[in-house]
Amino acid sequence: MVDDEKKNGKASRPDKKNEIMTQTSAKPEVSDLIGQRLRNYYNTVAEQPVPDRFLDLLSQLEAASSSSSKKPR
Amino acid sequence: MTISTQFRDQIIAAIPGLRAFGLSLTARSDRADDLVQETLMKAWKHHESFEEGTNMKAWLYTILRNEFYTQLRKRKREVEDADGFYSSKVAVHAEQDGHLDMADLRVALAKIPEDQREAIILVGASGFSYEEAAEICAVAVGTIKSRVNRARTRLAVLLEIGADEKFGPDANSESILINAHRN
Repeated sequence: MVDDEKKNGKASRPDKKNEIMTQTSAKPEVSDLIGQRLRNYYNTVAEQPVPDRFLDLLSQLEAASSSSSKKPR
Repeated sequence: MTISTQFRDQIIAAIPGLRAFGLSLTARSDRADDLVQETLMKAWKHHESFEEGTNMKAWLYTILRNEFYTQLRKRKREVEDADGFYSSKVAVHAEQDGHLDMADLRVALAKIPEDQREAIILVGASGFSYEEAAEICAVAVGTIKSRVNRARTRLAVLLEIGADEKFGPDANSESILINAHRN
């Protein structure tokens, strides 16, 4: 199914035709709708607090670099 | 030289966006967070290559993006049919996230080429300008613009947005549309 779709999408759509389609698609309301959905999707994660895993990692990196920074570079 | 608190705070501030960018690229939260972890370690290690006063967020996104392609190349070598493998995994994961709208988008994103995917996410969701996105992806601004346009066209077809209007699905996109529907 995916392969079929790819073949159709790629092989039978040369660049020129693609450009024409691109222009048709620039319809503002379509772009808006897609943009809205992209942002919703993105923000479900982007609005979550920073997981401890990463804060811990940064603390570790910080500890490691402050002990090594005593050595001359 | 100790790494400044400001540097650290800026990294922390960027993490939520980096996770979202990673998820949008990979469609998998475990992979997204692995990318973020690699990004943080690389940023820390190479902090001297960051120029104070320049765009820290863009710098971090660039690191994550490069890491994504490194891992993708690795995985493509490992799995012969990397694309098919990837897409089928995405479909399963998308079903699990429960939110139909988002599941559709996730599957649709997985079906467009990576270069288009990253372009539309950077510009359409991460809030970067075309110029910044061009810098992150190391291509010309015009290239980013055309990738964003192509991504929009493809996503519109895959998500059937505007399909009922005279949006112009030709024979090709029609079949994509049907396929997308069956999936």
